[in-house]
Amino acid sequence: MAESKYITLVSSDGYEFVLLREAALISPTIKGMLRGPFVEAQTGRCNFPEISAHILEKVVDYFNYWYRNREKEDVPDMEIPVEMCLELLMAANYLNLDPQLR
Amino acid sequence: MPPCVGSRNTRPQRRIMGPQSALTDFLASHNISAHQIRLDADARRRQAQNNGDAQTDENTQDDEPATVDPPTDAPTPATSSRPATRARRSAAGTVTQRDEEARKKEQKVLEKIKASKKFQKRKRGLDSDDEDDLARALLQSSAPLPGQQENCASCGKRFTVTAYSRNGPEGGLLCGPCSKELEKGDAAKKKALPKRATGGSVGRRRQVQSNILDGTYALGAKSLMTLCIETLAKNIDLAEDLGDLPEPIIDKIARKLSKHRLLDSRTLTLFLQPAAEEVRIYDGAKLSSNDFIRIFQTVPGLKKLKIRNGIHFKDEVVDYLMSRHIDLEDLYLHGANLISEGKWKEYLQKKGGSLRSLRVYFTDKHFSDEVLALMPTTCPLLARLKVCHNQKVTGAGVASIAQVSTLRHLSLDLRNELHSDVYVDLITRLGVNLETLSLTRVPGADNTLLDALHSHCRQLSKLRITESEEMTDAGFVRLFRGWANPGLVWLDLQKCRQLDSAHPRENPDGLGLCSGGFRELMDHSGAKLRELNVHGCRHIEAQAFEEVFRAGAGEKVYEALEKLEISFCEEVTDFVVGSIFRSCPNLRELNVFGCMKVRDVRVPRGKILVGVPNAKGMVIEGDDDVDDVVMGDA
Repeated sequence: MAESKYITLVSSDGYEFVLLREAALISPTIKGMLRGPFVEAQTGRCNFPEISAHILEKVVDYFNYWYRNREKEDVPDMEIPVEMCLELLMAANYLNLDPQLR
Repeated sequence: MPPCVGSRNTRPQRRIMGPQSALTDFLASHNISAHQIRLDADARRRQAQNNGDAQTDENTQDDEPATVDPPTDAPTPATSSRPATRARRSAAGTVTQRDEEARKKEQKVLEKIKASKKFQKRKRGLDSDDEDDLARALLQSSAPLPGQQENCASCGKRFTVTAYSRNGPEGGLLCGPCSKELEKGDAAKKKALPKRATGGSVGRRRQVQSNILDGTYALGAKSLMTLCIETLAKNIDLAEDLGDLPEPIIDKIARKLSKHRLLDSRTLTLFLQPAAEEVRIYDGAKLSSNDFIRIFQTVPGLKKLKIRNGIHFKDEVVDYLMSRHIDLEDLYLHGANLISEGKWKEYLQKKGGSLRSLRVYFTDKHFSDEVLALMPTTCPLLARLKVCHNQKVTGAGVASIAQVSTLRHLSLDLRNELHSDVYVDLITRLGVNLETLSLTRVPGADNTLLDALHSHCRQLSKLRITESEEMTDAGFVRLFRGWANPGLVWLDLQKCRQLDSAHPRENPDGLGLCSGGFRELMDHSGAKLRELNVHGCRHIEAQAFEEVFRAGAGEKVYEALEKLEISFCEEVTDFVVGSIFRSCPNLRELNVFGCMKVRDVRVPRGKILVGVPNAKGMVIEGDDDVDDVVMGDA
């Protein structure tokens, strides 16, 4: 079966986010889920029982922002709402969106 | 789901809720909560749906609307029409029981609105007698529901309400075009405010160049974690606790804060976790002695301590540290030159037994030979020692260091000039175990040191010898040729060159690292080298570079090399730079300051060439076809 260009991310409270596979692959965690011998690899659907919808939404925003800017230099920073900062930090850590990888 | 990196199994339910007592908490205390806002929005949406249902029910019940729909309520026609008609219809007598209940409920709400200040104010403005209608108007405008149809308060046109619909000057919502009209007025007002000066395109360009020189340049967006940490650092005054973030993240936040010089008594608290074993302070300039003492009070299990710019880390702090049951394994002190010689000795005598790593930077006069003389007896476990920017230590101190047989990592940057024999003695005694050796600014060190390295070192992976004026090319050849040490990973031989202002070009004795030494070193370590610095070794000939980085038959590829510094190597040409990019596929940065023969070289995409001697200074873009570049230059 040919891989779909899109994948679905599901939040803890059941919200689904559909986005480009290529954009989501910057997260080594998601990459591992989609490449390994897991259900996620076959269905293109990743469940995140620990990330709530409003955080996952921001993460998906980030994936798209990253994808849009991947070839550009001097990219304007994405706005992070202060109240979401710590939760987003935990999610980023979980998804391995680490500075070293940029 | 696969086991994910970064997850922690100790938590029973792994919901990412964020630390409860952090920013979230602070915001919660100011009634800001993303969760609450969501709940509210949901509630509103539900209510809107219920209302909608009730309305459609009603419409199906009475099919003669025209009879009771009077266009008389002129002052607020657009916003109040629907509920008004409903109330009047009910009054007209087609009343079911449910309508009756709904009407009562509405009446209650209207009473509440009538009592409100806003209502009173509006009433004065409008001179309307019909209080009920006005109250309904307010009821309507107070809860705009996205997705509903509404009449514009200004032009009366029907439009769909969105979350972005703006309020009109007299209450009610505005349609798109009218909102824009309003915005124009706002924009005029905003213009009056002084505009913050920005760098503009020049500032941005400068920032890019600055990033390149810092080595932080990269294509594409910043990582999400970096963005979060930056936001957090900007708003650190809101945070009261960082909660249970993983240790590496806390460290990154600490680094970011120090960059902005934001670490003070208050923010220090965020980084003092009682259960921690490690505290790293990257800028302690604003901390007082009491703050440093507080570290030992709050973190009783401290094992590793790193403090930069710890100016107030003085005798009394050391006294306190010695009085506690804290046995540091790793101590890194930078700029703590208020600790007296006596205290250093006392500390080593009392607490030296647990020390595995001691790094002391910028201590001027008080970290002396006598302190080092204690080390062989008081620090039986010491494996790492760094003494940098020190004005006091002499050959006697280095001789004491040579007695510390456990050392594996040694770094010296002393202001006093020592004779080469001191270093030879050091290597003879410690060389067997050394993994890292850094000797910065050793003008007196000569070939005997290189020979000692050759015959004693077998585990060295990082080597630095800089600014030697005595070593010769023959010495370097002897060192690298047939050296039983495995390939070095990190090598810095900058400014090992001949210095003679009268005859700068001539180098009859082959002083410094020249062609032969360079060939031998690449032959010996090239496969493993990650970073190489031959800055200022200006007698390496073009032919040597071309041979080492040659293309075509017998070509060598240096897979590991990531950073190469060949500034002020005069013979480097465009062709050499092209060859380097070709034979080092993983090279990230190449420095060519002062290589005046480099003129117009094309750089593969994503690689950085710094220091080209033209107005551009730095070149970072080019074609993906490296082959074309080399062909063109050849």
